[in-house]
Amino acid sequence: MGQFVQFAINGLMAGAIYALIAVGIVSVYKATKVVNFAHGYLIMFGAYFYFTFAVIVPGQPWAPSWLASWQPGWMVEMRGELPMFSPVAAVLDWVANLPRILLGLAGALVCNAILGRIIERALMRPLMGQSIFAMIMVTVGLISILSGAAQLIWTADAASVPFIAPNMPIRFELFGTMIFLFGTDLVNMAVALLLFGGIVAFVKFTKGGIAIRATAEDQSTAYSMGISVPKVFSRAWVLASTTGAIAGAILATRNGISPSLGLFGFSVLAIVLMGGLDSYVGVLIAAMVVGVLEAMTQWQMGGGWAEIVPYVTVLVVLIWRPHGLMGQKEVERI
Amino acid sequence: MINANLKSSYAADERVLNNRYKQAFVYGSILALVLFTLFGNDYLILIASQMGILLIAVVGINILTGYTGLVSLGHGAFVAIGAYAVTIFGNLGAGVIPAGLMPFVSVPLAVALAAAVGVLVGLPSLRVKGLYLAVATLAANFIVIFLIEEDLFAPWTGGMVGLNTNVPNLLGWELDTKREMFGLIAVVGLVSLLAAQNLIRTRVGRAFIAIRDRDYSAEILGISLLRYKLMSFALSAAYCGLAGALFAYFYARILPEQFELALSLNLVAALIIGGMGRTMGPVFGVIIVVMVPELIKVLFGALAGDSAGAGQLRAPLQQIAFGVLLVLFLLKEPLGINQIIDRILRAANRWPFARG
Repeated sequence: MGQFVQFAINGLMAGAIYALIAVGIVSVYKATKVVNFAHGYLIMFGAYFYFTFAVIVPGQPWAPSWLASWQPGWMVEMRGELPMFSPVAAVLDWVANLPRILLGLAGALVCNAILGRIIERALMRPLMGQSIFAMIMVTVGLISILSGAAQLIWTADAASVPFIAPNMPIRFELFGTMIFLFGTDLVNMAVALLLFGGIVAFVKFTKGGIAIRATAEDQSTAYSMGISVPKVFSRAWVLASTTGAIAGAILATRNGISPSLGLFGFSVLAIVLMGGLDSYVGVLIAAMVVGVLEAMTQWQMGGGWAEIVPYVTVLVVLIWRPHGLMGQKEVERI
Repeated sequence: MINANLKSSYAADERVLNNRYKQAFVYGSILALVLFTLFGNDYLILIASQMGILLIAVVGINILTGYTGLVSLGHGAFVAIGAYAVTIFGNLGAGVIPAGLMPFVSVPLAVALAAAVGVLVGLPSLRVKGLYLAVATLAANFIVIFLIEEDLFAPWTGGMVGLNTNVPNLLGWELDTKREMFGLIAVVGLVSLLAAQNLIRTRVGRAFIAIRDRDYSAEILGISLLRYKLMSFALSAAYCGLAGALFAYFYARILPEQFELALSLNLVAALIIGGMGRTMGPVFGVIIVVMVPELIKVLFGALAGDSAGAGQLRAPLQQIAFGVLLVLFLLKEPLGINQIIDRILRAANRWPFARG
């Protein structure tokens, strides 16, 4: 039972990150009716930008030394008195890394926002009004461009990146079994869920969000009511690429940085379809379910089988409910 | 170029090559292929064989995406099934079936297996369309490659490290050189291209086109969506399985990673670049998709030499060039090279009068 809880918690933590990635795909779909097959590669760029600003830039000779490792006097004093493996030491390690973590996150956010904007202007806007097939295939072409570009730009072997939260182990007993958690995973989950909630609230309550929903409802009507549809498009892409930057930074600390981060996009795409393309709630449920199922598969059948869990589940769900768990059924007229 | 066809009998109207230009083109290309097989240099034979194998698979995708309008991003899986099935059947039946007859048994079996899996993957196509189908086929691709790599099936599939393939033996004739293999690939490729051209002339092909144009309207006209969508999936998977079988015969070793998503995307990209729903589309597309990375390789070799650093840059550049090509064609010429060629031929035909 305790083991079950351990794996369920692991699954929920992975599910929260899936949800954060998925929110980018759903936002772009809601505003532009384009399903972004290349979203995983946007996330990969976010991860690489985080790596650049949190590891490469502070490592440069011209960078101030406090950027790489911040060691004020009081911290050195505190550290001297600490016993081995105390949680305070983990917090202190994190504080020392704080300047470069913040720089990394800020750099990733800004660069990814610019990247999302460029993609929208150069590739998506000329295709406005074209067939959905063409738009989807453009994002498929984008997969090759982005993954090739990443390999060109970041040729060096990636080192490890700093965790974005204090990484202390948390232990407690439940049903007679010890449960291990890492502080950074919990914070990641909290960040992911908060961002997810924030975006849902943004789309629900703010003026910009209402514009997105109106465009989703009917593009030409929204246009004629004075909503600038191109602006909505670029806002949705920027939203997707910035959430992708955060998700990329989190994934970089969890899984390390490699071009294969892009493949995450495909499993998340499966999750999005499972939940229903235009439903935030459905996607959240699907992400959590897949996260937990993956953890359970890993526990019972080994790590390899876990990687096809999203794909098998999406096939089952699509045959049972063609528009996903909570997706809106499309009405088709001849 | 044809401005009008005068048909004086139904037989003339029903022919596959229904005018002299098409006949001349087909007979001319047969002659060119024979001469090329006999006298082409080894490097060109290698490139042309890659094109031929890819062509057969793209013709299959064309039936599904170009004619029936169902998008698939997972046809690499069927190529994998064809390649692995032909090798595994070959290994299992090695003592039982005489070597000279083996390809005549194992290739049809592999093609049938690919078609059967195609029907299975096509089942969601009855419920879901467009994008949902694209993701369902993508999922199928990941699952098939995963199963091939899985330790459980490793005794047959070789797992991650791949499998050595057999040399095909057609009634005692061992095709152990690339040139002989190209002969086989050229014959199979040409036949499959003509078969696809023939298909769209028949009841089945016209049903496919009706489904592409509007599936509900087609159903109202009495076309069974269940039957024809699954038939389209089975046919395209069979073509891909055939391509896979030739792939296995052509290369000395097959690896699961050769059939991953990159191959599926390559196939669809070749179709879009060449022109969807046109018989010659796959031919043009395959030429571009194979030649552009090859040209980059040659240019890079000439500019930077064979240093390790250049090799590290080359693969990403090939990838970027591929993506840029796909995006450019979608933005500027969604109907593909076929459309450009049509336009040139039309202009040439009317010259010096109207243009365009």
